[in-house]
Amino acid sequence: MEDIKKAILEFASDSKKSKFYFKDMEKAVQKLLPDAKSREIKKAATELVNEGTLIYFSTGSSTMYGLKGRGITEDPE
Amino acid sequence: MALDPKRPQKEIKYEEMRIYSDEELRNYTEEELKNFKIKHDIPDLDELEKGPWPSFVADAKREALHRRKLAPDRMLIERDVVEDMLGQLQLSFDEGETHWKHGGIVGVFGYGGGVIGRYSDVPEKYPSIAHFHTIRVNQTGGKFYDTNFLKSLCDLWEYRGSGLLNMHGSTGDIIFLGTFTEQLEPIFFELTHELDQDLGGSGSNLRTPSECMGKSRCEWACIDTMDMSYELTNYYQDELHRPAFPYKFKFKFDGCPNGCVASIARADMSFIGTWRDDIRVDQEAVKAYIGGEIIPNGGAHKGRDWGKFDIQKEVIELCPTQCMWMEGGKLQIDNKECTRCMHCLSVMPRALRPGTDTGVSILCGAKAPILEGAQMSTLIVPFMKAEPPYDNIKEFIEKVWEWWMEEGKNRERLGELIQRYSLQKFLEVIGLPPAPQMVKAPRSNPYIFWKEEDVPGGWTRDIKEYRARHKR
Ligand code: SF4
Ligand code: SF4
Repeated sequence: MEDIKKAILEFASDSKKSKFYFKDMEKAVQKLLPDAKSREIKKAATELVNEGTLIYFSTGSSTMYGLKGRGITEDPE
Repeated sequence: MALDPKRPQKEIKYEEMRIYSDEELRNYTEEELKNFKIKHDIPDLDELEKGPWPSFVADAKREALHRRKLAPDRMLIERDVVEDMLGQLQLSFDEGETHWKHGGIVGVFGYGGGVIGRYSDVPEKYPSIAHFHTIRVNQTGGKFYDTNFLKSLCDLWEYRGSGLLNMHGSTGDIIFLGTFTEQLEPIFFELTHELDQDLGGSGSNLRTPSECMGKSRCEWACIDTMDMSYELTNYYQDELHRPAFPYKFKFKFDGCPNGCVASIARADMSFIGTWRDDIRVDQEAVKAYIGGEIIPNGGAHKGRDWGKFDIQKEVIELCPTQCMWMEGGKLQIDNKECTRCMHCLSVMPRALRPGTDTGVSILCGAKAPILEGAQMSTLIVPFMKAEPPYDNIKEFIEKVWEWWMEEGKNRERLGELIQRYSLQKFLEVIGLPPAPQMVKAPRSNPYIFWKEEDVPGGWTRDIKEYRARHKR
């Protein structure tokens, strides 16, 4: 689990985009950790959200993830 | 079957939940309403109030007047929120463009859905709707409510939001329309901790499952829709609140093919109650319908004189598979040809009833136009038993999800993925053999193909041996 979390954070901070779909995050993690299952990656992402490291970004119809404080204006105002 | 709660039910102290007195709720007269003008000019919206239909503008004006007359310390967001909403809508009509922008980080702690961020892009003009977030509240099973609960919900929303809400959105939830970011967590807390009420789904996750009232009121229900929906909502809490799907995913449960929640048109996975034995026929009642002693269609069309009931014209000739006929004064049905369309049962409910060996048909892939055009669900599982704890159904659901999560592109619905890969591939993935019931019309959607390993001898043949028997 810790490995997956690390891989997620690595991807999140290296990625050119400040917000990304779950699938893209999943692919990046599986590149580093080929055995990581989708469900585990989701669990790890949820933990990161609960810790306050990752945040959800939602348009209402689809949801993306982002690193807290990076690139996304927390309040679009 | 009585409701079997999945966990102890919280006793809600409604007296403590109520915020407003009756006087505060009825704080204006109809006379005042007639003379009331909101602070913006809204000529086009005023037009919408005319004519015979109920109008959201009329409702919104009532709410605006109500807020004008509430004491200032009785609302936590701006008093003018409804008036500004109407004002901005008029501006959008004038310019032919929306002034809402959406997205952004709004949400409640730990949930990836349930709150949808909305902001005005002209906040200097309409400051009370600078934020106008939407909250989805998971509706109750079959949409049965205790009025105390509804009053508490409305009070909460009047106090911490705009007071405007939508019963219900097309997914099924109650939609709270318009509040500010700082109100989100308090509302979430009150809903979950005090009212024992969860949020619904939004974003790339399982959306709030919804169902027809099923066995609670309807004699046609072949499955316990409310129980199924309740069970699956609880079982898939993580999928509902923590998005990790390529896009949205909807379940809907119809108790019979009459389809009162229109699952076939609106759900990525539609569950429709059906039966696999014979339609139950009460020949005495059939006679009574023919003789005019029982009114057809449960009396639904009796407002006009349609003439004497004609079973031949109104039932037998309208059967889509032509599988009914009269013989010796008795109604005959060739049940193996019946497609369970519900027509005859709906016309003569006292004579015909669904069979007793009941279960679900599962259809997949309905959606509104997004990447591809709109489509209806396609029959995938013709019949499956549907009894608690629904392990067979969960197994099916998870197989489908696994494939979609693996192969689906970002923002690709299940129906589009099936289109991209073919139904044949989909059947293979979920391990189902093709069946004639899956074909809409012969030769129109042939997705049953032979594979080399299915054919004796494969694709190669001995041409000499063939020529020995067939001259050129
Ligand atoms: S879908 Fe069928 S079972 Fe459900 S309420 Fe409608 S008629 Fe009744
Ligand atoms: S349910 Fe529909 S298909 Fe079946 S016998 Fe009645 S009318 Fe015919």
